[in-house]
Amino acid sequence: MGILELAIITIVKILIVLTLVLLTVAYLVYFERKISAWIQNRIGPNRVGYLGLLQPFADVLKLLLKEDIVPTVSNHPLHALAPMIALFVAFSTYAVIPMGPTITLFGWQIPLAVADINMGILYVLAITSLGVYAITFAGWSSGSKYSLLGGIRSSAQMISYEISMGFSVGGVVLLASSLRPIAIVEAQSGLMWNAFIQPIGFITFLVAAFAETNRLPFDLPEAEPELVGGYHTEYSSMKFAAFFLAEYANMIISSALIVTLYLGGWQIPFIERLNLPVGLTVALQVGAFCFKLAVLLFFFIWVRWSIPRFRYDQLMSLGWKVMFPLSLLNIIWVAILIMVFKI
Amino acid sequence: MNLYNIIFYLFAAITLVSAFFVVTTRNVIYSAFNLLLTFFGVAGIYVLLGADFLAVVQIIVYVGGILILLLFGVMLTNKIVNVQIRTGATQILPATIAVGAFSGILISLLVNTEWKKVGTALPGASTTANLGMLMMNEYILIFELLGILLLVALIGAATIARK
Amino acid sequence: MELKYLFNSLPYIKPELILAASLVIIVVADLIITKKKELLHYIALAGIIAAGYFVLEQFSMNAFAFSSSGNKGMLTVDSMGAFFKGLVLTASFFVFLFSFSSNEINESRSKLGEYYALLFGMILGMFFMISASDLILVYVSMELVSLSSYVLAGITKQSLRNSEASLKYLIYGAVSSGIMLFGISLIFGITGSTNLYEINYILRSPETNRVILLLAGLLVFTGIGYKISAAPFHFWTPDVYEGAPITITAFLSVASKSAGFVLLIRFIKVAFIQNSLNGYWQLLPAVDWKTILLVLSILTMTLGNFAALWQDNLKRMLAYSSIAHAGYMLAAMAVLSNQGLIAILIYFAIYLFMNLGAFFVVMLISNKIGSEEIDNFDGLGYASPFLGVSFAIFLVSLTGLPPTAGFIGKLYIFIALVDAKMFLLSVIMVLNSVVSLYYYMRVLKHLFLRKAEGAPIELKVSFPNAVVLLMLVIPVLVLGLYFTPLVEFAKNSISVLGF
Repeated sequence: MGILELAIITIVKILIVLTLVLLTVAYLVYFERKISAWIQNRIGPNRVGYLGLLQPFADVLKLLLKEDIVPTVSNHPLHALAPMIALFVAFSTYAVIPMGPTITLFGWQIPLAVADINMGILYVLAITSLGVYAITFAGWSSGSKYSLLGGIRSSAQMISYEISMGFSVGGVVLLASSLRPIAIVEAQSGLMWNAFIQPIGFITFLVAAFAETNRLPFDLPEAEPELVGGYHTEYSSMKFAAFFLAEYANMIISSALIVTLYLGGWQIPFIERLNLPVGLTVALQVGAFCFKLAVLLFFFIWVRWSIPRFRYDQLMSLGWKVMFPLSLLNIIWVAILIMVFKI
Repeated sequence: MNLYNIIFYLFAAITLVSAFFVVTTRNVIYSAFNLLLTFFGVAGIYVLLGADFLAVVQIIVYVGGILILLLFGVMLTNKIVNVQIRTGATQILPATIAVGAFSGILISLLVNTEWKKVGTALPGASTTANLGMLMMNEYILIFELLGILLLVALIGAATIARK
Repeated sequence: MELKYLFNSLPYIKPELILAASLVIIVVADLIITKKKELLHYIALAGIIAAGYFVLEQFSMNAFAFSSSGNKGMLTVDSMGAFFKGLVLTASFFVFLFSFSSNEINESRSKLGEYYALLFGMILGMFFMISASDLILVYVSMELVSLSSYVLAGITKQSLRNSEASLKYLIYGAVSSGIMLFGISLIFGITGSTNLYEINYILRSPETNRVILLLAGLLVFTGIGYKISAAPFHFWTPDVYEGAPITITAFLSVASKSAGFVLLIRFIKVAFIQNSLNGYWQLLPAVDWKTILLVLSILTMTLGNFAALWQDNLKRMLAYSSIAHAGYMLAAMAVLSNQGLIAILIYFAIYLFMNLGAFFVVMLISNKIGSEEIDNFDGLGYASPFLGVSFAIFLVSLTGLPPTAGFIGKLYIFIALVDAKMFLLSVIMVLNSVVSLYYYMRVLKHLFLRKAEGAPIELKVSFPNAVVLLMLVIPVLVLGLYFTPLVEFAKNSISVLGF
């Protein structure tokens, strides 16, 4: 495969992934509203299009047409930069998520991930750690105390939970003895899903993922009763939409990561015994990935509308005194599994 | 000039230019932001040298951790205490002479010295496993000692923070 | 997975293991014990004694540990190392005893656990500094020492000067260790190795670039010079010594300095010496350490002594005096001979007792009067003759007058200098001692010849403190008269592995 072909294939893959993610985000918002309505015994959006299915487009249009208000006391360059960082971080993480096995198309071996790199998992951790900048800059540059407080809260929260996130991933990496997402998925063949082998790590990662995405019950950075709107109080129009987009994109990436790391990725247990044709198998596997993703996304929304918000000190002590030791415990558990049971 | 060189000079330029702005910008927040770019540039050079693990760790640790704490410090003191933190320059002439002389020495040494070459080939696919083996075998003492170092740093930080 | 490097080398790092274990035990004990924090003192002392037992074992050892390729290891276990480890442990032993009755430490009792944990971290770092023969280990262990001492310098946090000491120490330390790291990277760039023995082997080839080695050597020396507070890297010393709690000041002035010196000795002797001729070391043509050390030692001792003349705070004065003493020992180092090395060992052993003693007396008095200003010491020699006389003995010894041990220390340095025909340096050293006489005697003048203003102060020395003081006074007096065992001991302890 020459460098030109590689570039073309990669660009095509990027475009596909980008479109998919944007569409998913749009409909995620719709489903969030629908599910919340369902949980609260309401009807939810049902005016725009059949069952309100065109609602997301109306929303986007509305945001695009609104006036972009920039506070005079704000630091303009950083104020404009912050939402871009948020979007950049949210989208560049998708590069390493494998959505299916390697397929052969027109004689080329194409892995169903934009980039199949050795450092995949570390890359994800590194990029997500940049997400803090968007929020910190947004909070600081707005020149408003609510924004600043929201920004600082959220950075402290993200840094704290990044640690237990990283340590939970450590267990997965130990078992797969690789940092490549594809290798990690392949190591979970059959029912050897990491969610079953290392349940503690699964739980800590899941909780940390909620905190990293600033979702309820960890949405202190935008806790409305205390902080008006948190770090994006002073944003409007498309810049606000960018943060909104980034939040939902982050939700998808977290779910995709959980699927990859703990729920066997695209794998369907024992599908090879059915002796299906290759094309069908791949299609089923990609479908399985999407299905797992959808279930997790539903879980995210479900939790948001069921559980109240933590108090800030509770959040911090949960992060440092419970999650962190638990994730360390998980590593010990995995080490024992490897040394004693030779998994 | 092949692709490799172009990429190298690109990263080197990013590193140097942003480092220059780190020192010269008068607003500390901008300095910190430029420092972010410097770290990125260095990480890029690490990747070019085949040290992929180091590059990612550079980003996780410096960009994702240290620089954020630095920003925290600046932001909290700047806005809440209402003290404008501005860096200034004094004694420009002596500093310029000293820096000029020192960089002159360094550059001439850089050019004239026969540096030891330890293998010119880039390391293979993944460096992580090899690094791990080195740390658990040859450099086990350093590795364990760093553990104690971090423990001491942790105790020290807690001590300072406590009234 | 094989861990043979670890298992093969464990027998050689028993004292270090004990120290690391003590650190952890103290952290845990601090957590469990909520009422009787005094117990921590005893746990710490027990840790020191246990480590001391295993250090004694090392006097007969001569081996590499953690050797990666062939026989050159990261760690060398030899009798010189054991000697200095013994010194560090003795100093820690006394400092721990001081801590029992130091007001500064007792007032922040809630931090006692951290105090000892950090002290153990520091001792551990010093141990590795003493036996390191690999530049990475040198750097990491120096950082361990530095990090713990930054915090310890400001641990009581009661006064501004305490925090100031901590911050100044941190800033100077960070800069100097950065410079040192740059020097190390240059050395690695030329030789492709961080092991001192391999560096020596590579430097023997004639085509090495001398200019860059000189630069790298000087940069590394910056880091070491900072630790031993040699001029011109001494700026932090007075402020930190004055601001830090006095137990920490005493510890820094003895233990930290000795660890730095071993590092210097090892760095020069292992990496830059070609061979030894009649006890004189022949330098590789790479770097002219002799001149560098000579100049720095003159600078250090002169600067220390002259700056001490104007100090009214006793801690500050002792800080400058400790700079001057570093200068004397650098002079012995500049001889580059076994004789000089013996002189350093003897000097350090004596310096330990007299310097710790001086600090102890200052601590006992300032516990009572709450000040270290020399004017507040007026007439106190009569308030407690025992304290006054011991202080006089320590100061006389620090000056280097017979019949105290300080004289013997200076004498041996002098002999080494004259033996190597370095007359100029020896004359400067004598002149410096004369200068130092002035400011040491000035303290005595205040103690005995000035009348105290206001009501007389009662100074009572409790029985345990009297015992500790005697443990410091008696060696200073005895070693001044009967010093042969110490000299023999030092002679037997100068073997550096590989030479």
